[in-house]
Amino acid sequence: MASRLARSTVRQVKPLLSIDQGEARKRVLNLYKAWYRQIPYIVVDYDLPKSKEQCRQKLREEFEKHRHVQDIRTVDMLVIKGQMELKETVEIWKQKHGLMAYWRDSVEPRPKDFLSKFLDGHE
Amino acid sequence: MLSSLARALTSTSVRSVRNVHRSAAACSDSLFVNYRYHSLLQHRDSADNNVDTPFEFTAENLKRAQAIISIYPDGHKKAAVIPLLDLAQRQVGNWLPITAMHEVAKLLDMPRMRVYEVATFYTMFMRNPVGKYHIQVCTTTPCWLRGSDDIMVTIHEKLGLKPGETTKDGLFTLSEVECLGACVNAPMMQINDDYYEDLAVADTKEILDTLTAGKKPKAGPRNGRFAAEPAGGLTSLTGPPPGPGFMVRDDL
Amino acid sequence: MLRIGASRLLQHGGRHAAVVSAARTQSSAPDKIEVFIDDMPVMVPPGTTVLQAAAQAGVEIPRFCYHERLSVAGNCRMCLVEVEKSVKPVAACAMPVMKGWRIKTDSEMTRKAREGDQSMAFGSDRSRFLENKRAVEDKNIGPLVKTIMTRCIHCTRCVRFATEIAGVEDLGTTGRGTNMEIGTYVEKMLLSELSGNVIDLCPVGALTSKPYAFTARPWEIRRTDSVDVMDAVGSNIVVNHRTGEVLRILPQVNEDINEEWLSDKSRFAYDGLKRQRLVYPMVKDSDGELRPCEWEDALIVAAKALKAADGSVAAIAGGLADAEALVALKDLVFPDAGTGTDLRSSYLLNTKIVGVEEADMIVFVGANPRFEAPLFNTRVRKAWTYNELHAAMIGPDVNLTYDCEHLGDDASIIGKLLDGSHPFSQRLTAAKRPMIVVGTSLLARPDGDVLYAQLLQLSQKLRSSCEGGSEWRVFNILHRVASQVAALDLGYTPGVADIRNNPPKVLYLMGADEGAITREDLPKDTLVIYQGHHGDQGAEMADVVLPGAAYTEKTATYVNMEGRAQQTQAALVPPGMAREDWKIIRALSEIVDTRLPYDKLNDIRNRLAEVSPNLTRYGDVEEANYFAQATALAEMVSGKKGAAPIDVPQKKLEDFYMTNSITRASPTMAKCIAAVKKEAANKYIE
Repeated sequence: MASRLARSTVRQVKPLLSIDQGEARKRVLNLYKAWYRQIPYIVVDYDLPKSKEQCRQKLREEFEKHRHVQDIRTVDMLVIKGQMELKETVEIWKQKHGLMAYWRDSVEPRPKDFLSKFLDGHE
Repeated sequence: MLSSLARALTSTSVRSVRNVHRSAAACSDSLFVNYRYHSLLQHRDSADNNVDTPFEFTAENLKRAQAIISIYPDGHKKAAVIPLLDLAQRQVGNWLPITAMHEVAKLLDMPRMRVYEVATFYTMFMRNPVGKYHIQVCTTTPCWLRGSDDIMVTIHEKLGLKPGETTKDGLFTLSEVECLGACVNAPMMQINDDYYEDLAVADTKEILDTLTAGKKPKAGPRNGRFAAEPAGGLTSLTGPPPGPGFMVRDDL
Repeated sequence: MLRIGASRLLQHGGRHAAVVSAARTQSSAPDKIEVFIDDMPVMVPPGTTVLQAAAQAGVEIPRFCYHERLSVAGNCRMCLVEVEKSVKPVAACAMPVMKGWRIKTDSEMTRKAREGDQSMAFGSDRSRFLENKRAVEDKNIGPLVKTIMTRCIHCTRCVRFATEIAGVEDLGTTGRGTNMEIGTYVEKMLLSELSGNVIDLCPVGALTSKPYAFTARPWEIRRTDSVDVMDAVGSNIVVNHRTGEVLRILPQVNEDINEEWLSDKSRFAYDGLKRQRLVYPMVKDSDGELRPCEWEDALIVAAKALKAADGSVAAIAGGLADAEALVALKDLVFPDAGTGTDLRSSYLLNTKIVGVEEADMIVFVGANPRFEAPLFNTRVRKAWTYNELHAAMIGPDVNLTYDCEHLGDDASIIGKLLDGSHPFSQRLTAAKRPMIVVGTSLLARPDGDVLYAQLLQLSQKLRSSCEGGSEWRVFNILHRVASQVAALDLGYTPGVADIRNNPPKVLYLMGADEGAITREDLPKDTLVIYQGHHGDQGAEMADVVLPGAAYTEKTATYVNMEGRAQQTQAALVPPGMAREDWKIIRALSEIVDTRLPYDKLNDIRNRLAEVSPNLTRYGDVEEANYFAQATALAEMVSGKKGAAPIDVPQKKLEDFYMTNSITRASPTMAKCIAAVKKEAANKYIE
């Protein structure tokens, strides 16, 4: 009974795109390469105040962020999202600040306590 | 009558001494003696009229002033401002220096501005120096129709004065004024307190000559009238006044 | 004693009687009469004018010359209306209504009558005027009021204001008819501390503001309601500003304080807000020069000194300090000090400003209300004009714009009044509702406490015998600076003698610019921290300068001389790195390691309420009535009386204009002083 239930659960999981880990990995690498190759054009098209190297570093960072993901469907979904992002970027549907948002985590958060706010000129 | 009207009209148009159409301001400003100050209702210091111009009521006038003030009840002392200003003007001789206004204000214990208001309101207060004889010629319609232009011309020829000017010897000042209320004796002029009426050119000359000679010409009508009666004798009310019942129906 | 013409009394005596003594005569109010405004029935008291009755019915009759607070002139003819069965239209402002009158404010006759005045609204739009246009010479009446006299319609509002309210009879009408002009006749300045109000009164723009001329259009301006701090009256104002700059200040109506007037200092000193400002923190370097620095550096220097001083700290608050800053400073420097240094009734204007209108005797002691609190003085003048108030003065013989009996300037007069041996005593005790108004300069005398005690006793004596009873407060203090009452409420003590005698290691100046303590009074190693908005005397002697906000730049609490808490609203942001004052102290406290427990305005307002609840009851006067206790305390005071005559610091008009750091930085105020001094040589000034 228990095994049947487990089986049925497994069976119900339909793959999104990839059937196995290998295929998923291939898709990820393809996406990575596509981005990697597009980066020189992106820097020029968007007049980003970043170098190619910085952008590639950021690209790697973004992929590394999801290195721990094992579920194939999640990987596929992330790949689809990455492709959509790429498409938007290439077609210049995005704007400069949308891309610059990738570097936002380096901006210091606004101070919360009184003294810091005061010294910062916000109080 | 008609001929004199025609004469007056033609003489006006030919000589155009007097513009019928004048701005209201210019008309009433002719009351103010010095043309230099013609539209000024502000005081301007001048050599003979400034804050240091000496003025003090004479002892005799001061007594008069006190008598005038005593007419008015307590708390209404300032009502005496007009007679006091007149007194001051007479003392100085035809005009009212600014210091005289200050003196009156002091006597009546009122702000100077309130005295200035009165002195500027009434045209008979002269706020700038005038000659010993202040000639005011009426040129309003009845006088004008009866030849006031001729009087003006005569004065101009004799003394060289235009309205608002004073002779060099300080004897005469000429003003052109609106109706002085003697229309029945037109044309007329007022010299200081006296009216000279029913003037002809010759009369004007004689009056000016007499004044220059330091004498006082005879005031009043010059054409033999006593006052304002008809020139050619009475035309009505000649008989004795009818008694009671005059023109009343018999049966009443 | 007839102070206004009998006819004028008749005209508006009723109105003022209604305003002034409404409370007292209510019980015997006569029956109302019915009139009809455009067929609307209205019940009004007898003596109401047509214009007032119409206002009651919600119909506004246009007017130029009529003004509520001035006598009725009836010379503009704009308010002509038709009254049924009357042959001619009547001037609504001057005509009292009769029973059953039917007034038509929109009839053919009314409109025709108005056409005489307003060709734009009612007449043809093409000129039929072919003659020369009348032009009038502009007058020079001083550096504040610009005149464009051709616009003048002779409504005489300015003349009536100067005569009736300012008490300066220098304006008048000269000439007659078409030649009539408004002016001074002789060349002189309008020497009044209230001259700016004629600008608001002028219905046509013949009198405009010289400093404001051509600087902005009213529709570009943003307006912020606020409170004036140039004196202790606490006049309500509207700050008009645009693009971070105050463009003008106008009065706001507050019947209890300033009615609708404003003193020239409050109205025109705003250009001082742009000059001499402290825009960054500064610390004195090794050469003794103040150098700009970051907030952090300045605060650290100040905090180190405060810590090192180990309690040897003193603070002086200046006249423009707000209650929030004062309470924060107190919490920082004297956390253990108690609150309230005195019984509140001993330092307030207890009768309140409106209370003057009920008094029948007022005695000023070492005070010159005309320049110390101009709008209080207008109240006194109002009461003097309409209520037969008798004024007397112990001190210098100054011109208060109304008759004031000068009792002399000898300090011993107070003692004589107290024991009843002075010739004036009898009249004083006979007064039904007497007021004694004590100037703050008197209290600053070395023998101030003795005189003060005597005055308190005298007031209590008068109070027990007068008709007003225990509700009537005789004793009043006339403060000169806006911060004083709040500071006293919060526990600050008046006087700096202590600091002079025991110089502290750190002296904290909260906008103290009046030179009460100079560098010479302090040992070399005393560190002076100055917090304020202007580079004035205080900043000059400081080692650390912390730039604060001026009254237009902060939301802050001020308590006026009556004890009425009011708040200013921030219209602008403080310039440069300057900050709101209480926040500076709050930040400093954290660096000193005694973090003050308030971060938000509401928090500090709660703290204010904790110290003294009246400080946050905005708009209300918190009354105090501890005269018996104060008198008991006063009886214990003993000391020697000095022989110096009683004096006041502001005697002449030129002393009025510059009294604080804002006015000292104001070019307009400098121009006023120059003009007034120049006028001294004008022989036309009486």
